[in-house]
Amino acid sequence: MANLAQAPVEENLQSYQLREAISRGLLYLILTIGAVIAIVPFFWMLLTSVKTYGEHGAKIFWPAGLSTSPYLDRPATQVLTVPMQPAEGWQNVPRSFSPPLEGAIPVASVSRYVAQQLVEVDFPVPFDVNILATDTTDDGQVNYDAYMLTVGSKIIDQFVTRLDEDELGGPNYAGADRGRWGPHFQVVDSDPDNFIVEESWNVGYMLLHNYIFAWQEANFARYMRNSTITTLLTVAGVVVTSTLAAYAFARMKFPGKDLIFSLYLATYMIPGAVTLIPNYLIIIKLEEFFQATFGMTNAWYDNWTALTIPFAINAFSVFLLRQFFAQIPDELYDAALIDGCGHLRFLTQIVVPLSKAPLMSIVIFNGIWAWNSLQWPIIVTSTETWRPITVGLSSFITEAAAETQLTMAGSVITTIPILILYFFTQKQFTEGIATTGLKG
Amino acid sequence: MAATKQSRDFDSQRLLFFGESKRHIREALQAYLFLLPGTFILSVFSLFPIGYALYISFHKWRIRKGDFIGLGNYLKALGTPQDVLFALGGLGLLTSSWMLWRKIKSEDPAKIVLLKALFVFLLIVGGLGLLLGFPQMLSNGDEDLFMALLITSYYSLGTVPFQIVLSFLLATVLFQNIRGKTIWRILYFLPYVTVTVASAAVWQSIYEPRRGLLNLLLVTLGMPAENVPKWLFEATPIGVYLGNLIGLSLPDWAGGPSLALISVIIYNIWTYVGYNTVIYLAGLGNIPHSLYEAATIDGANRWEILRNITIPLVSPTTYFLVMMGVLGTFRAFNHIYVMTSVVGPIGAPRGTTMTTSMLIWKNFWSGNRFGYASALAFVLTGVLLSLTWVQKRISEGRVFYG
Repeated sequence: MANLAQAPVEENLQSYQLREAISRGLLYLILTIGAVIAIVPFFWMLLTSVKTYGEHGAKIFWPAGLSTSPYLDRPATQVLTVPMQPAEGWQNVPRSFSPPLEGAIPVASVSRYVAQQLVEVDFPVPFDVNILATDTTDDGQVNYDAYMLTVGSKIIDQFVTRLDEDELGGPNYAGADRGRWGPHFQVVDSDPDNFIVEESWNVGYMLLHNYIFAWQEANFARYMRNSTITTLLTVAGVVVTSTLAAYAFARMKFPGKDLIFSLYLATYMIPGAVTLIPNYLIIIKLEEFFQATFGMTNAWYDNWTALTIPFAINAFSVFLLRQFFAQIPDELYDAALIDGCGHLRFLTQIVVPLSKAPLMSIVIFNGIWAWNSLQWPIIVTSTETWRPITVGLSSFITEAAAETQLTMAGSVITTIPILILYFFTQKQFTEGIATTGLKG
Repeated sequence: MAATKQSRDFDSQRLLFFGESKRHIREALQAYLFLLPGTFILSVFSLFPIGYALYISFHKWRIRKGDFIGLGNYLKALGTPQDVLFALGGLGLLTSSWMLWRKIKSEDPAKIVLLKALFVFLLIVGGLGLLLGFPQMLSNGDEDLFMALLITSYYSLGTVPFQIVLSFLLATVLFQNIRGKTIWRILYFLPYVTVTVASAAVWQSIYEPRRGLLNLLLVTLGMPAENVPKWLFEATPIGVYLGNLIGLSLPDWAGGPSLALISVIIYNIWTYVGYNTVIYLAGLGNIPHSLYEAATIDGANRWEILRNITIPLVSPTTYFLVMMGVLGTFRAFNHIYVMTSVVGPIGAPRGTTMTTSMLIWKNFWSGNRFGYASALAFVLTGVLLSLTWVQKRISEGRVFYG
């Protein structure tokens, strides 16, 4: 009897457990899909930022710098001896007059990795990497100092050993360009009869060189400093001004309170597009005024003042704090009053310590806004002196548009400080954001 | 006796009054002192500029101030005064007829007939005004502005609903008894924390037609390489593009937003879903647990609980997020600017990502038309304020505040 009664219960339990397991699996599936979508762009950013120009161009998914053996079947450095002949039209010129020399590295002797990249950017196979060596000095000595590496009609690398690299400039199509690319060719011995080219690899440099290059090219150090200073100043300003204002609105009685509050409200309703143009004109006027009166140049325009002071208060922060301050029980103030406490002491010693959470939200929000601001800094900065990282990065993106690996490295550089900050404060961060949503 | 008591009362009251008023004055002075720094900055850089912008918008102003042209800039944007009067007046009458319709129920029968007649009258006149004025406005006003408003609406409609639905889904899932809640939350939140310019740059490289991740993925999944969309570079409307794929040719006007704008929309959804999820989680946390228990005891299944308890009770959060989402899309600048900067001039490709804020920027910064740009900014403000008002109206009675 007992067994008969128990069987269906057990069956039910089993089917319940099964259903439960399936639905839990479904929940985790949804979460995982969401997380993958959230993460993939970051993964792509990091991956691309350690690729070479050639790798990105050839749609190679996994950069060689990250693979365990980027050399494949070749050693990290290999020396190739290239037979060189005088270039066409120069055959009759004696060697002592240093005629341009031509030579070819057959694709078979180039490492497979380089060959693969060259092939995938549409070079015909089989091909040779041609070297053209010229002597640019006119000193009567035979010393070749300018080299051009081509495949077909495409220049894959050119460099000079004597001149500054910039002087030669020019396109580096397939990206075998020295210094910027990990695997590169270098002429070790320029003796025309024993011309030796070294193809070398430097994995550490390969991984970092986009970062180093972007950092130097776009003056990221300066931008980073500017953004940090202006963000800190703005946030500090907002915290002080909005705490004071919110306290006055929440806990003090004074004539004209509603009027002043409605003024704050008005600024909250008006979109930034309206105030952008007049503010630009105001900054220009202030600049002119300071120049005429105090003889100061760039007191406002292209200076930290224009980037911080206009944002040292905002209605949002005042509203958020006011709401919180108003909830602090009156008894606390009465008790403090009996102890001979004034408003200022009550604010600094009791209200502020009690309001860590909303103050944190204000720091976080204003920090994000200040760090992210782009439109205003474009308008009021003209040089790198105070230009923030957003403007620097966005102009770097347009300048280096063709070299995605560099723009990605720049993006990583820009993002990392914020992400580090986020990981350390993520609890307060999410809580702070959640509280702002609650007020509805 | 009575007189002395009275005078004593009066004295004490007077004393109290003077003491109090002294305290009041001190407190008021102190309050003004507290308000001084913030209000000063706010006045100079937020309040005064509103008036200044209005002043600028009444002038022909190209870097330097030009002639006073009154409403000239606004008329250039919106068409002739009659058009504006007809269209906006029509819209106003329609709105008031709608408001009237909602109030009719509570009146007594005699009035209902009258009110219904008034409703019909308002509806017809308003509709006529709108029908007459609006096409005129479109043809006489600034074509770019109306196009920008349409594009911005596409942008808003394409972004906000998806953002809301996805984040609600994630939040309800995360609200279950899930392991590693913090880690999931950190992951979802990453897009919002990332610097906009940087993440926009990343997405722009993901959208890159030849080497971007998205098209690599599409090709790997078997899409023929010649059919692969050019994303940010594609001015073709999404409808036309999809139609072409299945061998249907749609006219351009029926195609909806361009693929470039869709790309921006996807980016926008990606950025804000995590943020919305966190806010939804807070909203869900506020629903009393006892309600769920009661519903479970009553035998409600998960769907019924979701439908009848969760969704109505998080409606304030939903309302807040919809509002923020709409306002955000109408103000959006940074990511559109960065993502399309590589494609071409502002609004590229072929002006299909020219939202209202981009149009204002174009007139202000590239075109140096300060006066006109200010007028456009006020038009945008008008649109935003009316949207806020309409949303508030619609939500009334539908949003349940605990």
